[in-house]
Amino acid sequence: MGSRVAESKPVLRLDVRDVASVPMTVTIGERSEPAADHPAIFDVDGLNVHYGDFHAVKDVSLQIRKNEITALIGPSGCGKSTVLRCFNRMNDLIEIARVSGSIRYHGVDLYGSEVDPVQVRRHIGMVFQKPNPFPKSIYDNVAFGPKIAGFEGSMDDLVEEALTKAALWDEVKDKLDGSAYALSGGQQQRLCIARAIATSPDVVLMDEPASALDPIATLRIEDLMQGLKEDYSIVIVTHNMQQAARVSDRTAFFTVDMEQTGQRTGVLVEFDETSKIFTNPGETRTEDYITGRFG
Amino acid sequence: MTELRPHFHDELAQLEGDLVLMGEQATAMIRDSVAALAAGDVAAAAEVIERDDPVDDLYLGVHSRWLETMALQTPVAIDLRLMSVILHVNSHLERIADLAVTVAKITQASNGLPHDPTMVSHLQEMGEIVASMVRAAMEAFAARDLTAALSLPEMDRPVNRLNRNMVREVARLAGDPELLEWGVRMMVVARTLERAGDNAVDVAEQLAFLLTGEFREFTDASHHD
Repeated sequence: MGSRVAESKPVLRLDVRDVASVPMTVTIGERSEPAADHPAIFDVDGLNVHYGDFHAVKDVSLQIRKNEITALIGPSGCGKSTVLRCFNRMNDLIEIARVSGSIRYHGVDLYGSEVDPVQVRRHIGMVFQKPNPFPKSIYDNVAFGPKIAGFEGSMDDLVEEALTKAALWDEVKDKLDGSAYALSGGQQQRLCIARAIATSPDVVLMDEPASALDPIATLRIEDLMQGLKEDYSIVIVTHNMQQAARVSDRTAFFTVDMEQTGQRTGVLVEFDETSKIFTNPGETRTEDYITGRFG
Repeated sequence: MTELRPHFHDELAQLEGDLVLMGEQATAMIRDSVAALAAGDVAAAAEVIERDDPVDDLYLGVHSRWLETMALQTPVAIDLRLMSVILHVNSHLERIADLAVTVAKITQASNGLPHDPTMVSHLQEMGEIVASMVRAAMEAFAARDLTAALSLPEMDRPVNRLNRNMVREVARLAGDPELLEWGVRMMVVARTLERAGDNAVDVAEQLAFLLTGEFREFTDASHHD
């Protein structure tokens, strides 16, 4: 599906489906081993984010791997959403945000001067906490992105494929012209996922994608994610630790450090396989947080 | 440190407290069953058998609350490992109490038979060591003392040696049919005490898993010393 979208402004020259792996190194968690079938797509090194004078995220280094689900967890204010937004340069939209350090995406400096943020967001889609369908029909919600991108193939096929992958097709195939607002919250969120994957992204970022949904809709989204990771790499921010445990392959635990100045800064404490984080974490701070002894 | 799950962690502490109680009762049952055997005291043996029901009640109570806690609290990390350990230790302690009952029943079955004082003293020695092993394993568990847990295999060695020697000691009795019958029964007692010792080592292995997150057997049953 990647070749269907005409790139009108091919500044970020990546055919993400064919890119070979970035050299793998173990950064955090000594039991993590290079995985040839899950090469790194993001290589984050010494990431710092400031909002004006506020140091939001300090010295984060980690890798996001292909066709895996990576969960970012931690208490409020730990910077996990800030880190997530760095992956598709959403922080560029905040005037006072300043990003330093290195994020290499398939080996390309994501914040390089030649990289077009719009192209970045075409490769790296995002699903937000609250379902935010456009005030349009179900069909048009999915078709909107590909149309903008100059898609020239069969739009009907593309819409069906995206809705099928988002596990929504069977529920909406007879009412594609109906308003997206007529759908339930869970259906609207799956529509947003269909919309995100309709432009054939490489990565889907999810910021609390199920926090506004009921438990059944939440489980449907979680199950959907397991299917989506066959085609996409997923990074999810979640406050729900059990959700991170259920859906993700790797988990990054962030917390808040108090600087000498009294300022609170988000730091990465531990990044490892989810099974290890939730059975035998390497850091006491991780264990205290996930077992409810946080304070 | 802010405790965000006090109810859950209180329940874990109570489950562990019940295990401590079971450990004390199982230790006493092993000690008293061997004492009844050495004294040929059938009444004392019956009293040991009666004490198995309270241990079984504790076992069933821990198991029931364990299931409820797993279903409702979804523990993770060290809490998850502790839950796993509680389930295993619960079984080991219940088993040790059952083994004490086996010794007591053999005492009843051997009533009236002649006995060999040397073999009795060896069984008393085994019983003392096994009782101290169970106590040491539970104390190590309560104190989260890995070094103490690792000492259990060393404590178990004389028990294994005494058990192996039992065959030769029984063979010495072959000339007297009644004494031989008693000796064969005592061989079962020795084997029973040896199994109780192994269960104590298993408890210590569980503690090592709790503390390190990695499970390994302290000794390989297929390559006993």
